[in-house]
Amino acid sequence: MKRRELLATGTAAAVGSLAMPRLSAAQGARVLRFVPQANLSSLDAIAGTQYVVRNASLLVWDTLFGVDSNLVPKLQMAEAYEASEDYKTWTIRLRPGLKFHDNEPVLSRDVIASLNRWMVRDTMGQRIKASLDAMEALDDRTVRIRLNKPFPKMLFALGKSNAPVAEIMPERIAKTDPFQLIKEFVGSGPMVFKRDEWVPGSAAVFEKFAGYDPRPEVADWLSGGKRVMFDRIEWLILPDDATKAAALQNGEIDWWENPVPDLVPLLKRNRNVNVDIADPLGNIGSFRINHLHPPFNDPRVRRAVMMALSQEDYMRAVVGDDALWKPLPSYFTPGTPSYSEAGGELLTGPRRYDEAKKLLAEAGYKGEPIVLCVATDVQITKAQGDVTADLLQKIGMKVDYQALDWGTVGARRAKKEPPSQGGWHIFHTWHAGADCINPAPYTAFDAGGDKAWFGWPKSDAVQAGIAAWYDAPDAAAEKAAVADLNKTAMEFVTYIPTGFFLGYQAWRKNVSGVIKAPFPVFWGVQKT
Amino acid sequence: MSATTLPDAPVATASAPHVTPASAMPDVLPQVAPRGRVLTFIRRHPTIFAGGLLLSLVVFVAVAAPLLGTADPTALAPAKRTREPSALYWFGTDMLGRDIYSRVLYGARVSLIVGFAVALLASVIGMVIGLVSGFVRWADSVIMRVMDGLMSIPPILLAIALMALTRGSVGNVVTAITIAEIPRVSRLVRGVVLSLREQPYVEAAVASGTRVPMIIWRHIVPNTLAPITVQATYICASAMITEAILSFIGAGTPPIIPSWGNIMAEGRALWQVKPYIVFFPAVFLSLTVLAVNLLGDGLRDALDPRMAKRL
Amino acid sequence: MLGYLARRMLATIPVMAIVALFVFSLLYIAPGDPAAIIAGDQATPADVERIRAGLGLDRPFLIRFGEWVWHVLNGDLGVSIFTNLPVTRMIQQRLEPTMSLMVLTLILSIAIAVPMGVLAAWNQGTWIDRVIMVLAVFGFSVPVFVVGYILAYVFALELDWFPVQGYTPLARGFGPWLNNLVLPSVALGGVYIALIARITRATMLEVLGQDYVRTAKAKGVGSRTILFLHALKNAAVPIVTVIGIGVALLIGGAVVTESVFAIPGLGRLVVDAILRRDYPVIQGVVLLFSFVYVLVNLGVDLLYTVFDPRIRY
Repeated sequence: MKRRELLATGTAAAVGSLAMPRLSAAQGARVLRFVPQANLSSLDAIAGTQYVVRNASLLVWDTLFGVDSNLVPKLQMAEAYEASEDYKTWTIRLRPGLKFHDNEPVLSRDVIASLNRWMVRDTMGQRIKASLDAMEALDDRTVRIRLNKPFPKMLFALGKSNAPVAEIMPERIAKTDPFQLIKEFVGSGPMVFKRDEWVPGSAAVFEKFAGYDPRPEVADWLSGGKRVMFDRIEWLILPDDATKAAALQNGEIDWWENPVPDLVPLLKRNRNVNVDIADPLGNIGSFRINHLHPPFNDPRVRRAVMMALSQEDYMRAVVGDDALWKPLPSYFTPGTPSYSEAGGELLTGPRRYDEAKKLLAEAGYKGEPIVLCVATDVQITKAQGDVTADLLQKIGMKVDYQALDWGTVGARRAKKEPPSQGGWHIFHTWHAGADCINPAPYTAFDAGGDKAWFGWPKSDAVQAGIAAWYDAPDAAAEKAAVADLNKTAMEFVTYIPTGFFLGYQAWRKNVSGVIKAPFPVFWGVQKT
Repeated sequence: MSATTLPDAPVATASAPHVTPASAMPDVLPQVAPRGRVLTFIRRHPTIFAGGLLLSLVVFVAVAAPLLGTADPTALAPAKRTREPSALYWFGTDMLGRDIYSRVLYGARVSLIVGFAVALLASVIGMVIGLVSGFVRWADSVIMRVMDGLMSIPPILLAIALMALTRGSVGNVVTAITIAEIPRVSRLVRGVVLSLREQPYVEAAVASGTRVPMIIWRHIVPNTLAPITVQATYICASAMITEAILSFIGAGTPPIIPSWGNIMAEGRALWQVKPYIVFFPAVFLSLTVLAVNLLGDGLRDALDPRMAKRL
Repeated sequence: MLGYLARRMLATIPVMAIVALFVFSLLYIAPGDPAAIIAGDQATPADVERIRAGLGLDRPFLIRFGEWVWHVLNGDLGVSIFTNLPVTRMIQQRLEPTMSLMVLTLILSIAIAVPMGVLAAWNQGTWIDRVIMVLAVFGFSVPVFVVGYILAYVFALELDWFPVQGYTPLARGFGPWLNNLVLPSVALGGVYIALIARITRATMLEVLGQDYVRTAKAKGVGSRTILFLHALKNAAVPIVTVIGIGVALLIGGAVVTESVFAIPGLGRLVVDAILRRDYPVIQGVVLLFSFVYVLVNLGVDLLYTVFDPRIRY
């Protein structure tokens, strides 16, 4: 017997009846201990779009529709729907007997209030809102949405997994200003958030909701019957990757959402641990450029950087393991129906440093310092930043490397001032592949100038391409629109993709049913 | 009290005669000494010798880094990442394929600069504040309340908060740690000033109308030098560790600057699989801090045995 | 005595006020933006601006400071920007782990360091003395996270004696609680042990060198043990002082130790809060830390009277 167990048993005998009843349950197979990718500091996936918040919210709240692993929206809370032929009128009926965690029934007015809040924040929602004539309750379980323009992508909008997710909350909560965090976490999803056990930065606990009635279909991502096999799911926030690896090896945790690739060989050697790709849609690294100020307001300078940028260097620095990444001469997620590499030639082949230098000179770059803002507390952004510093020096640019934390980068990147006056030229981030499957959830792709994402790229050609995609009636037309868009955006250099990379997830062998998805899927997972 | 007190070394006792620090100075900074005097010095102050030797070695490594077979410490080679130590990469390579041997050697510069700069700045500023506080009665209570306030915030937290205020750079790290260390020095100086003010010769100088700056220069400053020198070595040691901790938490020098803290921060996730990334900078950091601490202990024994009690 | 206590308590008020003002203004001018963090990576600049306004972060400094001070005086430290939980509650949640870690470290350090110092003093000049003192200097010189990783590797992963990470509340039993805390306490205790061992040795030497002890020793009066207990009692004042000074050191070290061993304590809470710019939490915890520091040092001053009857207030 190992000493640790000995100590534990010794105490159990000593304290005996003093031990809380939860202790025995906490050690059983009915509790899953999960380590998420980041600290869970809020549960509002409408006001905030952090992935970790979205993932937690999917346990607590349910959606009218839900995408399956083919990204096809299926019925979820909705029992049935009806779309008019011109895609202008949508009628949705709720399943009977749906209940919130406070045992109040889910009613039409809850749906209307929730969608109203969601519409303000979501890009697809904003398009719905712009052409919305009315959203009305026909009865307690039926809602009708009337638009003055056709919107064929309604079900995808209501069922997509990309944040903000159209989650249904009780009306009183949904009335919260969409720009403020909700203060009450009551949903109708499979798990109840245990607010009294929440220790932000350390642990978040979810308990099975007895009143949840899963759909009869087999679960597939956000669709089908979300059958949770645990009484409790504990999210443990461990601050240190080395500690997480050790804890998984020792069986102190069951499932680690995003193990560091360099530690994976160690985990693979452990007989009790399984390792696999987490999200087949992966991530796209981003070299984000400020389009407002010289020298990057000149497309020639943006193209010069692009022709010298080695995605291989970025990806090796970010993930290391060659099985995890591939070059990406595209803005879109490889392996998805609309994927295209049209116009991506500048990113492939040998890197052209001399040509880049010549182009820089031609564009009139005279050695002004380039302000590179790097979030050094996030490994993926830090690794990219270090490679960029090296790259810019190679093509004769002067780098002002600003080592900041993520919070500061978040504030700094919103500044439109010239880089020399507190603004910026470049920062790094990454986008989940699930958000880059097409232009709809792809905030970073928009080129609408002032209204666009940080960097404020402005290209009428790109905007026209996006509009064309929205109007595309079928898959073939969508694919053509995306190919066109990729070419236009590469020409314009909205931002520079630094490559496509996958992440691992790792779990104990006694846990089964862990699947690949853009978010951790807890339904169907079991522990013996 | 020294780390390696020899049997015949003077022992600090309450009955020992008060040695004025100034008179002890020549011992510490001997003139160009013939061989015999050097040996005597080593025998009398083994800790100063050991600490000094070790520290000189680190300084040498830092200064001569380009000549010691190093490569560019910031040159990336992602294709050659996390290589084990070998004939080609003596200490291996890190996650971005940079040569750890080169980074560790160049990293000595950062640690030394931070340590020395903080020691110097904190001593000078702390001394000025302490002098003002000790001489200007109306300012004393205000200054000391502010110092109390600063002191009651744990230095590392204060430094982290100050780093959040600015962007990461060596200068800002130095500033942040200095601010956290100043209160200790100024309290020390103020204490010395208050005790000296009551001394007959100072009171005589005041009575005879000598101007205050003159009194400070002639009587006060020389007497504070010894305790401040000793204090400065400890500040230097603690600044080096604080720098490492700040970088370790991600609030220190920018990662493109090779500092020991940064190298360890980058390797921390991999300590199970690639322990050498953390190991080499950790050993260098520990030895350097050890050297400075030994020097401090030795200086304290040499300069003022009575101070040994106060730590 | 009571008058002294009252005066000392009163004197802490300006100190705390200065800490409050300092911390508040520091964070006010810090460039980070919690709104940007809440908004997440997908949010547009306009969204971030709306969230900022919603949090009230766009109002003038003096108004915000005034409000905060008023609330603090009423025992209300505000609400976390991110979690919407009251800061007092977040502190309560984190108090037990940090206090446990600090108290255990303190006990452990004193239990190890005082005998070490005494042993060194008694064997002054011998190899025992030198080994102990070299160990003590090492204790100062090795960063706490390095010690932490080495301990975790040897005793948790290789030998499997202790868990790698985590914290078990005392309510679930003394054994599990202790089990989780042994490694972090030893790691955190390194510096502290070094500090206390050195001061113990120094003061013991001083006391042992005093005439009456020498005389007693020479005359062969009393056993060694009695002599030592006597000397130790006289050496207690400086030792207690160092323990007081060291509390700040301990709090600083706890920040790192809690990260390495994933202990949900106050140190991690405040570092996370600083990195996210969760202003109310940072202010609350720093205020608490300063208060504890001031309180401990007050306690140390009072202990003087216990150990040294000559000191009277």
